Amino acid sequence: MRFAPNRDFWALLAVSAAAFAAVVAVAYREYTPEWQHHMNEFRAYLKARGAFDAAGAVPNTVQQIWLPALDRVDRCISCHANYDGSITALTDLPPLYRAHPDLPYLAKHPFPTFGCTACHGGQGFATDEVAAHGEISEWDDPLLSTALASTYGLTRAQLMEIKCNTCHRHDDSTPGMDLINMAKAIFDKKHCTSCHGFEGGGGLASSDLTYDGDNNPELLDFSNVTGPKTALNWQVQHFESPQKVINRSGMPNYRLNDAQAEALALLMLSWQRLTFPPEYVPSARRRPPAVLPVVRQVPYPPPATGQLAEQGRYVFSNRGCNTCHTVGGGSLIGPDLAGVTQRRSDQWIATWLKDPAAVVEKSQDLQAWSHEFGDIIMPNQNLAEGDINALMAYMKEFPPAPQQQ
Amino acid sequence: MATATEGSTPNRLQAPLVGVPPPPRCGLRARLQWLWRWVTWTWSPASEREASTAIVENLWLHWFPAKIVEESFSWRYSLWLGAISAFLFLILTVNGVLLMFFYVPSTQQAYWSIKDIDYVVGFGWLLRNQHRWAAHLMVLVVFLHMLRVFFTGAYRAQRAANWLVGLTLLLITLLLSFTGYLLPWDQLAFWAVTVGTNIAQEAPFVGRGIRFVLLGGTQIGQSALVRFYVLHVVVLPAAVLVLFAYHMWRVRRDGGMAVTDPAAMPIGPAEPASPVVTKTYSLFGITPGTSLEVRAARPRSDEEAIPSSPHLLRRLILVYLAVFALTIVLSLISGAPLETPANPALTPNPAKAPWYFLWLQELVSSTTVRVGGVTISGGLIGGILVPGILLAAAVLWPFADRSPLHTIGRWFPRERRLQNAVMILIALGILGLVLIGMLGRGPYWQLYWPWQAWPVLPRRL
Repeated sequence: MRFAPNRDFWALLAVSAAAFAAVVAVAYREYTPEWQHHMNEFRAYLKARGAFDAAGAVPNTVQQIWLPALDRVDRCISCHANYDGSITALTDLPPLYRAHPDLPYLAKHPFPTFGCTACHGGQGFATDEVAAHGEISEWDDPLLSTALASTYGLTRAQLMEIKCNTCHRHDDSTPGMDLINMAKAIFDKKHCTSCHGFEGGGGLASSDLTYDGDNNPELLDFSNVTGPKTALNWQVQHFESPQKVINRSGMPNYRLNDAQAEALALLMLSWQRLTFPPEYVPSARRRPPAVLPVVRQVPYPPPATGQLAEQGRYVFSNRGCNTCHTVGGGSLIGPDLAGVTQRRSDQWIATWLKDPAAVVEKSQDLQAWSHEFGDIIMPNQNLAEGDINALMAYMKEFPPAPQQQ
Repeated sequence: MATATEGSTPNRLQAPLVGVPPPPRCGLRARLQWLWRWVTWTWSPASEREASTAIVENLWLHWFPAKIVEESFSWRYSLWLGAISAFLFLILTVNGVLLMFFYVPSTQQAYWSIKDIDYVVGFGWLLRNQHRWAAHLMVLVVFLHMLRVFFTGAYRAQRAANWLVGLTLLLITLLLSFTGYLLPWDQLAFWAVTVGTNIAQEAPFVGRGIRFVLLGGTQIGQSALVRFYVLHVVVLPAAVLVLFAYHMWRVRRDGGMAVTDPAAMPIGPAEPASPVVTKTYSLFGITPGTSLEVRAARPRSDEEAIPSSPHLLRRLILVYLAVFALTIVLSLISGAPLETPANPALTPNPAKAPWYFLWLQELVSSTTVRVGGVTISGGLIGGILVPGILLAAAVLWPFADRSPLHTIGRWFPRERRLQNAVMILIALGILGLVLIGMLGRGPYWQLYWPWQAWPVLPRRL
């Protein structure tokens, strides 16, 4: 037999060495991440400036802002560690070590709630610079940098209005969002929704703009567009001259200037199908002061005695009057109806029920009074004559108002 | 490995008896050798029979024969492709289990959990890259293993059964890789599986049903993800394990590797070879004596056989280390891609199937005919007929092959020229189509030379 104890010896040695070298290379890569290099330099920089306490506060692990509500994790702060100025209050620092400038809107957009990428773009999950700044083909939400903005002749703040409007979509006007505010005004003034579908309404003559920012840019025709092949660039040139970009386009040329076209293009790109929890979305409506916003316990109206009144009670509950009005229970969204027939004449109530808004329009007193109820005017219930008579009969059975007793 | 002693008789095992003191007045070298053996050997077999029994009674070593024939040890014959694919499967199992600790099979979280694995899980990038590379290599190596078996005629006669098991293992390997493809839930995953399952849909009568069962619906969504996940981590690996065990057992039962067959073996179920007196092992150590189940084609003398341990064991360690090092080096060089999150509304351009299905996609796209406004899909020809015929031919060929049996166990014998040439053409055809699909197909499925730049696709910003 050929008992060869040294068979494969050299091959085994070589392969073992290769495997060992590979494992060493793996360990080297794992334990020398890019962010750690930045933190070491930051520490050295602070020590060189004599800020030893601050140097001690520089973290030595991956840092992240976890935003479960937004499905985001922003690890940007692994390198931008002094983002909130908590490590050092020094201001004359290199850009990477600098704290976020204390801008007016920052108070309403705290870091722990909004993170970084919701406003700035980029890939919060990544821990190396190129991937984190999203300047790779695998990530289509790049960092909205000054360099990127300048390719469109915009400032960074202007480009970032796209991000602002993903939440502020339903604001009429938002401080600091000058371009988007202008675009929204144009959108209303030019009656874009006469032709375009929008948020479940609008016209059918042209495309739906609700999620225009999500449209696949590859489906746009760039043959008549100069400059970079991006959706933003296409939008700008299309707004400036629709017929130049799309031959025989039905969209009128509104003779917009550059700023207006850019503003509208930003607005289009901001209309994305991003879902934010309600607490992130600013309410467009002013809340009525001193009125309960939600009626949870609806006081049931009193029973009726007469036949007509019984009919009226049916109308009262069927129309949901008690959602806003109590009878003797105090004001809710609308006034307490106890003793209403003693305060107002039958004629007045009948006119009111036919068209509340018309009555308010004619009366200064009622306009002033409606301020108490957050300017909410009772909706026209489109009641028939018979229903109104029945309601009157029913309301006459209401007890008098408490102070009249 | 310090088991050899100069001047010992070749048939004696080389280890010292445990407890035997070092020879008196010997040199330092001999004393060191004695010390080494005293530390590393706890037991010293008194005979070869005892040594063989030790192997068949060991849980880890029992699947080795006690002795193997020198020819089956050669690099040139088998290229060790079966061992390589088994080790790739081992690597995939180990880092696959580790990946399961971090991966969440939900459409909401799958993509982000992969991002976490890539960026913040300790050695997560290695786990994922190595898993990806080992998976690609396994598809390739299993296919090459099949080619090797074909070219050496090692699927003939009693080995036809194991050829069918091997084909099943190849299909399961493809399915394993394909089901794993969906799990990252990125654009690559979503659209590769879209292409793959749409091809399956072209099968007559059953296509839509197969796709519906595979996806758990008509669209790729949460139910498809969970099905693919369970198939990927439980069902298919379990099937591989069972079939692998059977595959290995069958190799032993069918007389070892074909290269060890005698030149002229009787056709058909020959009468069992006469028991070989010199054989001192039995199958699995369960049956006493030489099992009649084992087809030992001709008596083997001791001179032609070497003990599995340490030779086979050491060789397998060598192959494993090489595979391990290769997957790690590849993982260091190039990572597993992760594109933007899956978006059913946005088709990447171009949308490609996994590379091992690209030849099918290429066939589908090139056999799709457009006449005026009517499109005749090539899915049936490229997706079903061609692979179906190839698979049927592979299944039936062991029973149709009439080449002389003495060609078994040799590379490219003259008598098998024609069928080997056909197989080479098929393999090159598949390889060529895969390469065209991988390197040549650019945006809008246009063909580009590798040195031609693809047009820049529009982006949002």
